[in-house]
Amino acid sequence: MTEGITTGQEKNPLVERINGKQICTRCIYDESIPAIKFDEKGVCNYCHMVDSLIEEYHTGKPEGEKIIQKIIEKIKADGKGKKYDCVIGLSGGTDSSYMVYWALQNGLRPLAVHYDNTWNTAIATENIRKVLSKLNVDLFTLVVNNKEADDIFRSFFLADVPEIEASTDLALAETMYRAANKYKVKYVLEGHSFIAEGISPLGKNYFDGKYIKSIHKKFGSMPMKTYPLMTFSKFIKWTTIKRIQKIRPLWYIQYSKEEARAFLEKEFGWEYYGGHHLENRMTAFNHSYYFPEKFHIDYRNNSLSASVRSGQMKRSDALEEYYNTSPYLEPELVAYFKKRLGFTDESFNAIMKRPPKYWYEYPTYKKRFELLRPFFYLLMKSHLVPRSFYMKYCFPIE
Amino acid sequence: MLKTRVIPCLQLIGESLVKTVKFKNPAYIGDPINTVRIFNELEVDELCFLDIRASEEGREPPFEILQQISNECFMPLSYGGGVKDFETAKKIFSIGFEKIVINTQAFHQLDFITQLSTHFGAQAVVASIDAKKNFFGKYSVFINDGTQKIDLDVVEWAKKLEQAGAGEILITSMDREGTWSGFDIELTKKISQAVGVPVIANGGAGSVGDIEEVVKKGEASAVCLGSMVVFQQKGMGVLVSFPDKKKLREVLK
Amino acid sequence: MNDVITIIDYGMGNLGSIQNMFKRIKVESEITGDIEKIKRSTKILLPGVGAFDAAMERIAEKGLKEVLDKKALEEKIPVMGICLGMQLLTRSSEEGKLPGLGWLQADTLKFNLPNPSLKIPHMGWNYVHGKNPGLLIENLPADPQFYFVHSYHVQCHNPNDVLTTTQYGIEFHSIIQHQNIYGAQFHPEKSHKFGMKIFENFARL
Repeated sequence: MTEGITTGQEKNPLVERINGKQICTRCIYDESIPAIKFDEKGVCNYCHMVDSLIEEYHTGKPEGEKIIQKIIEKIKADGKGKKYDCVIGLSGGTDSSYMVYWALQNGLRPLAVHYDNTWNTAIATENIRKVLSKLNVDLFTLVVNNKEADDIFRSFFLADVPEIEASTDLALAETMYRAANKYKVKYVLEGHSFIAEGISPLGKNYFDGKYIKSIHKKFGSMPMKTYPLMTFSKFIKWTTIKRIQKIRPLWYIQYSKEEARAFLEKEFGWEYYGGHHLENRMTAFNHSYYFPEKFHIDYRNNSLSASVRSGQMKRSDALEEYYNTSPYLEPELVAYFKKRLGFTDESFNAIMKRPPKYWYEYPTYKKRFELLRPFFYLLMKSHLVPRSFYMKYCFPIE
Repeated sequence: MLKTRVIPCLQLIGESLVKTVKFKNPAYIGDPINTVRIFNELEVDELCFLDIRASEEGREPPFEILQQISNECFMPLSYGGGVKDFETAKKIFSIGFEKIVINTQAFHQLDFITQLSTHFGAQAVVASIDAKKNFFGKYSVFINDGTQKIDLDVVEWAKKLEQAGAGEILITSMDREGTWSGFDIELTKKISQAVGVPVIANGGAGSVGDIEEVVKKGEASAVCLGSMVVFQQKGMGVLVSFPDKKKLREVLK
Repeated sequence: MNDVITIIDYGMGNLGSIQNMFKRIKVESEITGDIEKIKRSTKILLPGVGAFDAAMERIAEKGLKEVLDKKALEEKIPVMGICLGMQLLTRSSEEGKLPGLGWLQADTLKFNLPNPSLKIPHMGWNYVHGKNPGLLIENLPADPQFYFVHSYHVQCHNPNDVLTTTQYGIEFHSIIQHQNIYGAQFHPEKSHKFGMKIFENFARL
């Protein structure tokens, strides 16, 4: 299997290594993960973060169930007389699809929201269609003009930075707020699960509206007309003035991604894209090619570590998969990327070979978020910004 | 037996995919190439592209996009919009499209239909008619993306187009388009009974039931779907899809 | 691995779409009307869209009849005719006056359908029903259906030459084979996954 594992009492702490790098004894994160620390048992701080989140949110325990039930009652009460009482962002993926089902089971009246970055595959749109039509849930979509979307993607590629998907992620957040605002809904439900997805490493990846704007200003060529940019003032408007709350039910309830997927497949004929992010071609390009080739990041360790922590997968199997296989690359994907964004083989390869740049080399709102930490602390307490946002944005990164 | 054709009809304005309601207010739908890829994956039987503003804007068809579409698709394709002369038609066929849809130009020059039909075969030429019901319940014919009314009886015009050599008639109800309220059965039937060539019904599809109705009662040989394939539901968000094939097969037996 | 498919260019038919589909299934193909190149070919695809006589005239004008006869009848390399190309394989057609290539005992007839609701040409997607086994039709996806556009149909005199039939008023022969000569009345290049399987099977022969 894997070579070079040496366990032993080196000094006092338990240190396990693979290929010379120390790895966590519980999950599979290794010392190359930014901001990682190991305790005397060799367990990493990311595992501890998950543990403390489980403790704080009583995830999967009766107390956690009670808390989310209270929130559900509040959502229903605030939604009386309105067409919908909450908004759920849909990508066509497991967690968000399951969220819609969960919402209906609990008597909520959700509006499904989708941001179409024009790189969707039929699997994603079909999954969205199947779930929503069977559950009879309405869909709100924002489609960005494909040329604008491509212009922004191209800018990030030309900027040599890793956050090529930032524009999609931020646009979905903004779209959800717009949909909520349109129908006077005060709650956005997000299908994020720290147990199923793990905690993404802090440090190298970052994005906000100003970052996107800066990159686009420097490398883009088309004005942003249809792209929904979330500026700082918009962010403040949605959270402080409109007071739209972000709720993450999966932080409270018992949830297994694998079980959810099996359920969706059986109940809706939902199709799994194999963990290869084939629901969106930009995501697939990012995870299968861009990250590994240019930044030497293999994000599979994120979801694999999560599976190991939650007991869904044996640690030895996770290590086997991570070290002995490569991320799946759909044939023709790179060719599609080049063709669509207008790169020749030469120009593409030249850019891929250039040294990476990072977010702190461009203007962002980061300092502002850090300065306003007490303010965002209050927002977090009122569920107006997620805890993970507060942790990641309002504290300086080493 | 021959399957009844159910054809997604996609509207282009230049390089963007859009969808109108009653020929007005085009809403942006997305990237045509990516949408085509999705229809490819859904294995639809046929696709039709109409550049709805080409004639009105005096523009050429968007050849580059059409070439990319043709490279992606392995099913029959038809194109209409601003086709005014033989060379343009020839270019579209050489790009890989099977059929050309002619609307406005047929009015200005009826023998253009004959010219195309003789050279490329009648089955390659679709004559398109946009019709609107007037106050007295009679149908008027329009050209230039529904902006210019012409003084012709819709049934007589359909017959003339057939005589000129059109292999199919595409009949669009301007009143029903984008409304999800069902096809104009009366209009479709009038045309089907007057001509010997296949008639394609367009405008108003909202459900599989509507498709069944216009084929059985309206005597349509084929149907076009617009809003139904690009929106999740009436008034809701953009979602590219196609009706359940099993269901279609059942109702169209 | 596979042979290079020689797609005969005699000026009729949409060769780009055919080559596109071969590209998609990773089979190499070459579009040519050059006699020397055809002499060297190991597998031939004969396309065709349009009228029978016009096609036979073009083939004669370009001097291709001799080399095609040699490849098909003497060297017996696999040759497939699609759409009008299949009709050209027959001895004659009611559409025209000129003789066809005559590589099998078959003739091309006009669709004579008494039912007025069945329009000519036969245009659209229709199903094929297996009559005899053949490598060309192996492992087709379930419910095989293809895109047809034609006003004339082929009738083989030897029932063993009929691989599939299709129903349109009458039961006509949609896929045929006689030794190394194959024919498909539909457009494989417009029949997505079904057409791809036919081309794949042909490439593997």
